[in-house]
Amino acid sequence: MTTVVSDDGILLPAASRPFLVEIDGHYVWSLTPERDGVRRAGGVLVPWPGVLRPYLSGRGRVRVTDATGAEVLYDAEVGLGAGEGPLAVVDRAGHRLCVDKVGHLTRSFAATAEEVREEILAGTARAIADLREHAGVKAYLNYGALLGAVREGRMLAHDSDTDLCYLSEHSSPADVIAESYRITRAMRERGWNLLRMSGGDIKLLLPLSDGRLCHIDVFVAFHVGDTFFQLGNRSGPLPRSAIEPFSTIELHGHEFPAPRDPEAMLAFLYGPHWRTPDPSFRYADPPEGVRRLDGWLRGFRTEMGLWTGLFNGPGQREVPAGPSAFARWVAPQLGELPVLDVGTGTGRDALWFARRGVRTGAVDFSRGGLGVVRRKATRRGLDVDAGQLILGELRSTLLHGTRLARDPHHLYARHLVGCLDAAALDQLWLLARMALRPGGGRLFLEFQASHDAPGGATGTPLEPDGLVRRVDPETIRAAIEAAGGVVEHLVVVPGEDMLDRPDPAVCRIRASWPATRTQKENR
Amino acid sequence: MSTHELKARLREQARDRLPAPVVDRIRARASLRERVRVLEAEVQENRQLNRRIAELTDVVAELLIPLEARDQDRVDEVLARYRQGL
Repeated sequence: MTTVVSDDGILLPAASRPFLVEIDGHYVWSLTPERDGVRRAGGVLVPWPGVLRPYLSGRGRVRVTDATGAEVLYDAEVGLGAGEGPLAVVDRAGHRLCVDKVGHLTRSFAATAEEVREEILAGTARAIADLREHAGVKAYLNYGALLGAVREGRMLAHDSDTDLCYLSEHSSPADVIAESYRITRAMRERGWNLLRMSGGDIKLLLPLSDGRLCHIDVFVAFHVGDTFFQLGNRSGPLPRSAIEPFSTIELHGHEFPAPRDPEAMLAFLYGPHWRTPDPSFRYADPPEGVRRLDGWLRGFRTEMGLWTGLFNGPGQREVPAGPSAFARWVAPQLGELPVLDVGTGTGRDALWFARRGVRTGAVDFSRGGLGVVRRKATRRGLDVDAGQLILGELRSTLLHGTRLARDPHHLYARHLVGCLDAAALDQLWLLARMALRPGGGRLFLEFQASHDAPGGATGTPLEPDGLVRRVDPETIRAAIEAAGGVVEHLVVVPGEDMLDRPDPAVCRIRASWPATRTQKENR
Repeated sequence: MSTHELKARLREQARDRLPAPVVDRIRARASLRERVRVLEAEVQENRQLNRRIAELTDVVAELLIPLEARDQDRVDEVLARYRQGL
């Protein structure tokens, strides 16, 4: 049969071995038809991964080969999507990107120069030293870097980062998380720029001389009873004695601490066939272990990556510039108090408030979005105080609430409510209560409301990419009132979605939080 | 008659022909499935308390000492450092 490349994906023979996909002469993705595809007449159709789709518009050469590159299933010029430009999967700086084993878009080591590889390994060694000497945890090399070191004596092609783990002494998840917070503080004090990925793992961002950031993941590993848990999502039987005391392993001339029994760790991670290369390998994690790790450690950034992908990718251009109709409605009501745009996104309304001379803050959970806001503010000479607020991360909410209690603002949140889960929504009300009670500011909300016509049910996913959901206005009213707020104004009228497309039911709310007696006395 | 209604009627007719103990067992099993589903959701809610406890412990452990000392400058300094360290 022939292999067919189309907008839907790649149709190829049914097989349970991996194949590599190149676009424009560069590796972008590996797939295993039987695992990743659906049976169709003529073979198996493997759909393009969602993260690649924004890039699949234009003309270019697509090549599909087996894992060794010897067997070529497809090699031809193809036109995809409506675009007429060249087909290439590159970031804004022109760096080549590929899909990694957990489905994220990233740069690959195959495209990394030797001196940059040296920087990555030296940075990894520095991270291990800082973790040991300043954060009090002993880290070992793991995952792809360990596999590469043991199996091939070098870093794996198509691997994009290094992974470190530390074996926690704790067995209660709450203690594991508190330890991770302390590690974060210690590493920040050492000058590391980092991202928190869950209650038990952080990403150290290592700037490289070729302009990109290398990610060094620092994962917790711990035992609960006889079960070993190791982030990402691994769980199963692996005794402490397989890890400690550490052994040492060499990678491109650098010595790294490794699990005491590296082969037992690799079999735990990659199964009994770990010695056979498989670039399209995917973890088969026990679902009950994943459920536990999700419950214990995750939940505050479930959709953060998707939003950041939107703000950093071609989708950002779909969000209009200039003020929304809601901002124009709110502006005359602001008076003397400054305003904080909560869930600012690309900052279109915050920048407009600032241009009108209103002291303006902008917060979002996506650092990608905040980067866009800061760049635009600098370019336009506007003063917008942009910072990260993670509703769902209680420490973040409490800190912003404390600061706003001392520096009263209005809170403005357009199309935020429909993006939040129940826990994050609760923290929005907590923030409003802390921020608005002492100073008398108002909460201004706009969101797409549920309605009776088709497509109007509560929870209906909306643009962009289903990241916004319809919300019942009466549920919001009840939640505000339960949190001590007063709904001063509530209407549901035709309006616009986040991309300014018409929507039949958009709810606008203005709410206040009357001060307590003590707060009034303190004013 | 919709498929759903048809299925419900057939199920009812089948039950009428089954001995009562069998019907009771089927009912008990269905209710057990529902109880397990609810229990799993509740267990997951409880697991989420771990993060809440850690967040609160972290805030209290880092900020309570300067508050106790009633040292406003120290509180400001600790708050600023805490914010940077998140």
